[in-house]
Parts: sequence; C-alpha cells; structure tokens
Amino acid sequence: MTDQYTNEPMLDMFIFETSQLLEQLEECILSSEKTSSYTESSINEIFRIMHTIKGSSAMMLFNNISTLAHSIEDLFYYIREAKPEIVDTSSLSDLVLEGIDFIKVEVEKIKNGNDLDGDPSGLINSIQEFLSDLKQKNNYDLPVKSDEKTDTEKQQFYIKRDKLKEKDYNNTFKAIIYFEDDCEMFDIHAFTVLHNLKDIAHVILHIPEDIIDNENAEDAIKTNGFKIYLKTDYTNEDTYDFLMKIVSVKDVELVQLDEDDEELIQLIDNQNQDQDIEQDNVKVPVIVQENDKVESENKNKDTHVSSTQQSFISVNVAKLDKLMDLVGEMVIAEAMVIQNPDIQGLELENFHKASRQLSKITDEIQDIVMSIRMVPLSTTFHKMHRIVRDMSKKLGKEVQLIIAGEDTEVDKNVIEHISDPLMHLVRNAIDHGIEDAEERLNKGKPKTGTINLEAGNEGSDVVITVRDDGKGLNKEKILKKARENNMLFKNEADMTDKEIFNLILLPGFSTKDKITEYSGRGVGMDVVVRNIEAVGGSISIDSVPDAGTTVTLRIPLTLAIIDGMNLRVGKSCFTLPTISIKESFRPAKRDIIKDPDGNEMIMVRGQCYPILRLHEILKVKTDITEFTDGIVIMVEQNGKYFCLFADELLGQQQVVVKAMPEYIRRFKKD
Amino acid sequence: MKRIMIVDDAAFMRASLRQILERNGFEVAEEAENGAEAVKKYSQCSPDLVTMDITMPVMTGLDALKEIIAIDPKAKVVMVSAMGQEVYIRESIINGAKTFIVKPFKEDYVVKTLNRILSI
Repeated sequence: MTDQYTNEPMLDMFIFETSQLLEQLEECILSSEKTSSYTESSINEIFRIMHTIKGSSAMMLFNNISTLAHSIEDLFYYIREAKPEIVDTSSLSDLVLEGIDFIKVEVEKIKNGNDLDGDPSGLINSIQEFLSDLKQKNNYDLPVKSDEKTDTEKQQFYIKRDKLKEKDYNNTFKAIIYFEDDCEMFDIHAFTVLHNLKDIAHVILHIPEDIIDNENAEDAIKTNGFKIYLKTDYTNEDTYDFLMKIVSVKDVELVQLDEDDEELIQLIDNQNQDQDIEQDNVKVPVIVQENDKVESENKNKDTHVSSTQQSFISVNVAKLDKLMDLVGEMVIAEAMVIQNPDIQGLELENFHKASRQLSKITDEIQDIVMSIRMVPLSTTFHKMHRIVRDMSKKLGKEVQLIIAGEDTEVDKNVIEHISDPLMHLVRNAIDHGIEDAEERLNKGKPKTGTINLEAGNEGSDVVITVRDDGKGLNKEKILKKARENNMLFKNEADMTDKEIFNLILLPGFSTKDKITEYSGRGVGMDVVVRNIEAVGGSISIDSVPDAGTTVTLRIPLTLAIIDGMNLRVGKSCFTLPTISIKESFRPAKRDIIKDPDGNEMIMVRGQCYPILRLHEILKVKTDITEFTDGIVIMVEQNGKYFCLFADELLGQQQVVVKAMPEYIRRFKKD
Repeated sequence: MKRIMIVDDAAFMRASLRQILERNGFEVAEEAENGAEAVKKYSQCSPDLVTMDITMPVMTGLDALKEIIAIDPKAKVVMVSAMGQEVYIRESIINGAKTFIVKPFKEDYVVKTLNRILSI
C-alpha cells in the first residue's frame, strides 16, 4: 500500500490531482444525468476539468490521456459557446464516462509503473462523430475564425492600421522579424509586435497580411520572417533596439527606405486590389466575457472547490504509516520507563507526577495521530453512485441509492480495503436482490428499488450496512447448495437463519445459476470476507423473503493501539482487548458442568457458556488446571459469549499491535 | 533573485512551473489558484513578474490581468495558455500582457522568455 507513492513527487501530484478531478467530473456527470440536463456551470466545470487534465498530462508526456481530454474539451467548448438546443444527454454522458474510465485505467497504470498503452483513438472518433452530429442537428458551427457581425455574442476589437496619408512620421523602414525557434504560435507573436509598435509607428502593411484568420500565416512567418513596412520618427538604431527588445524576437533585418520606395508602393496597390476594405481596421474577433459574467454570478458554486482545498494539505500515506509506527513505539517506550523494574516499589512522588504528565501528552498525541489517519467514508460511498447507475442501466432495473452517515470516518488503510467489497455488495444487491420493475409492481413494491448504504459508530467499531428492498435470500436454495457441496458444518436443523445466510460467505458458494458479467462466479463473497477480515472486521447477513437483504460490516476503528488486560498462563503473559471483556470471576465448583459431548461449560446467572482452557489452546504448561484455582473471564465477540480460563489477571496495559516483521513472517505457518 | 507569482487553478501545473523556476534561479514568491486571488496577492506581494493561466474559475486570467495592470501599469504579466486559445492571448496582449508561453512548457524557452522580460 505504501509502495504506491514512492514515485517522484511530480508524478504523485499528477496522480492525486487527476484522480480528484476525475471524481469531481464523474459526480458532475451523474448529477447532470439525473436531471437530464447540463447546466451552464456544469458545462463550464466539465470544460475546465478536461482542459486542466489535458494540460497536466501533456506536461508529463502522457499523450494518450492528453489527446482524449482535448477531444472532450473541444466537445464541451462547442456546447458552451454554441449552446445547442438538441443534445442527446444520455449518449453524451456515456461518452464522457467512457472517457473518464479510460483515463482512470491509464492513471492506474501510472501508479503501478506500467506503460501507458491504452489507445483512445476509437473513443476520440466517437466523440468527434458525436460533435459533428451535434453541429448538424443544430445547424450551427461555431464561427471560430470568421468575423460575422451578426453574431451578437462577439465584440470586435480593433487595432488601427493607419494608411500612409495620416499622421506624418519621417522615417520609413522595412523590417523583417525573426522569432525565436522554439516559440509557438508565431502569428500571435507577430500580433504582439504590431501591438507594441502602434504607439511609436504606423505600420503601413505587413506580410503576411492576415495574421488572425490565415492558417498558413504561422508557417509563412516561421520560414520567411514577419515583414513589416512602417513609418516612425525613431532612428534606424533606435528602431532596431526597440524591435529587438520585444520578447520573442530573435533577430531583425532593418532597412531604411525612401518614402516613395517603388517596391512599397507596388505592395500597397496590390493590397488595395485584393482586399475589400470596408474600414481601416483589422478586426480581432474576441469572444465576449458574457459567459464569465454568468460564471462570476455562479462563483459561489465554484468557490467551494477552491476553498475546501485551501484548508487541507495532502500528505504522503507512507509518512502517516511511519508516524503511526513511531507513536506505537512511543507508547511502548513510555511503558518501559514508567513501569521500569528498577523503580518498582520506590517512593517517587515527583517522578510519578511527571510520568502522569507524560502519559497525558502521549495519549493526546496518540489520539491526534489516529484522527489524522481517519478519512470520511463519503468518497467511497459516492463512488457507488456510478456503480448503481451503470448496473441499473445495463440490467434495465430502476434502482436508487440512498446514502447515510457518510461523514463517518475510518482509518485510511481501511478505506482501501472496503472499497472493493462495498462495490461487490452493491452489485450483488442490484443483480440478485432487486427484482425487475414488473415483478416489483406485481408484488406491490414501488417500481424503483432502493439500496440503503449507511455507516455509523457503535462503540469502538464502525458499522456499515448495505440494505436492499429486493427479493431476499432463499434459505432452501442456500441449504441445498451447501448440502450439495458438503459445506454444512452443522446439523441443518440446528442452524439459525443467520447462520444459514452466512453460508454464502464461504468460498466457492454461489446459488446463481448463470454466471453474469457481474456475479455468479462464486469468487465474490469470500473475497469480500477476506478483505474485511484483513482489517480486523467481520460480516454478517440477514434477510427477509420478499422484503430484502441486509449485509452488515463491522470494522474496528483501529487495531494498532488497544487497551488490553494482561493475564498470565503458566509463565507466559497474554493480552486480551479490554473492550471484549464482560466480566471476570473465580468460579465455584458447582457451576462447572459438562455437556453431552464432553465439552466443559459454566453456568453464569442461569445461562450456559463454553469454557476454553487457555493453557490447552495456547499449549502452555501451568500448575493451575483446576477452575477454582484460576480465573474465568467472560468475553464477547460478535454477539457470541464464551469464557476463557487463565491463571490470573495482571492488570491493564496499553498494547501496541504490530505486524510481524518480514523475517519472522516467512516462517509463520498458516 | 527575481520573485515570481504563479497563477493557475491546477496544483499540478503550479508545481511543475515552480520546479522549473526554482531550478533556474528564480524565487517563487507566491501562488494563486484563480484570478481573484492573484489580484489580491499581487498587491500584497509585489512580485517582479506574474505567470497567469488563462482558464480559471472565479475570475479568469484575462480579467485578473486587466485588474493587475490597472493597479500597476508597469506590471510584468506572462500569460500561460494551451493551444487553441489564440483569441484570449491576443486580447491579453492588448490589455498589457508582455507575452505568453504555451503548455506543455519547454523549460529553456520559459526561462529565456522570463529572463528577457525581467531584464527590460
């Protein structure tokens, strides 16, 4: 997990920012889809995001991403400027979502250090086709390079190009300007020169004549330089200096001419014949700020993006892991100091006062570090919208997703482990659970199925439930399948409903007859279980026929540092999380009984609980084998209660749980 | 050392440009995420030069340019654009931008351009 961010920092930032933007984009598309319309601010947002991704990926030389982003940008540029009336929003959304998926996949490849071999050309073609289709349907192509006066959106801006007759400057020059080789958009650099000159000279004419609409102007300037005939009061030297000072100018060939230079006069005549000059002015079409005005009215909507970004910084997860480790070490070191055998039994009032202070501070640091790693579930939950949308579209079912408790926070590690399981559960709910519209109506249910995704805190756990109002689980079917595959670990008659439902969590289990693209391969649920257990959590399933199914995930807030109760068995010390301890006591002989199978049980307040002898389970030698000589601890896990038998309780201690170092792990038997 | 203010809504672009500037002897005095921030920070920080992205939310680079030039007619602003934004670049030049650089950046060209503007 920490390996993901060992690439160089620019790459990390690219990955981070692009991923964030893609999420924003996806949300924007999904909400636009729900209302079947794209508002002006969504269009702007989509345009801007694609524009940014285009730029950043071009910087990193990820050209396949860049060209794809460019084509989507062009599409939305058209939509923004032309405001077409007839738009197939459904196909538009599909196209953009496909684009998002493509980029997501490529970004994954970047994360893993693989080559970007995705080919966007098919998708780009579809986008371009969609665009030309759109233009046709709406009979309107953007007047990109023309200067139609009828288009009221455009404002025209003028640079005066005075003729010879006007203000009298004394010196006539011919200048050929060469720009720096690596500058781009030579036509605009030429424009810059003209702009700079207007205060000190008349530009009589220039070649190429048209540097705005003419597509060939750029090449002409690159090859032949930009030729200007001008009149000014500056001397030859000063004119040269002035031109050379203009930023992108590499070189200038400056020749002073006579006022009635033949070549010049000929050129002027030629231009008069060629052009239909209505005015003396060169028109520079500018697309007006009207859009920007609306944008600034909507700026409250847009500012929420930048203002949330301002109060956060992004931190490398590897650093957070290291910090957690160190805090764990600190807790241990603190214990080593305060409980040091050297000072046991000594009267050290000042020392104890100081160590209490130390404890207070380390506790606080611990709390804060844990909370830094805590991340709200909202992003993960929101990802589910896309899944619901895609699946309901593909399966032709109407499903809505209702989210609650998304502000609930879990450790960053945990988020990464539950994202896939949640997706699987949601997919299952739609695929197996929710019936199609007709069936639902027949059953008297609302046409649209509902999936409730909720999260909340319960004690030291986070509880996440995925609940659907579909057809529920079929006990008979499950039992049958389990029977056939010899998966029954208990007598059928003795199993509670919950135990039956939980059978589907076993590996290789699937009652779906057909294998669909999404489920039925029998490898889903047990992977979900494994992922959840990997973060110390647990799953349980409940269901009511025709009413729906609920899958409950229970995940501990943190595994790393826990409050523990030390206990002794023989010469060894063990720790039990205090949260699971319900009570402890020395049993009376009369409370110990044996069940028909010979298992030891204990009676507590009229209830029977199994006892587990720790010295047997942990294979430790001890002298204390009689229950009445040791201590019985009643513990609870997942609603189940049982008792542990140990020698004695030693006292509470904070315990740091660490993964086994690699060199030991290798020798660990499964 | 010459002090530059970088304005761009994409954190990644700001970081890329910062990298280029810092390893070529410039100091990045300030960063801004949109035009409005740029105008505010310009007055506070008085950089020697501003690199201004064109497409930004809240206030575009073009509008920010106009406001900065209004505050300080001698301000040195370099527009940062992508291909296809000719119209906006031209209007920026008209409104006082010294020149422009195009994304994706060519480091040498960026450095050369900034040095030239700063030496005028």
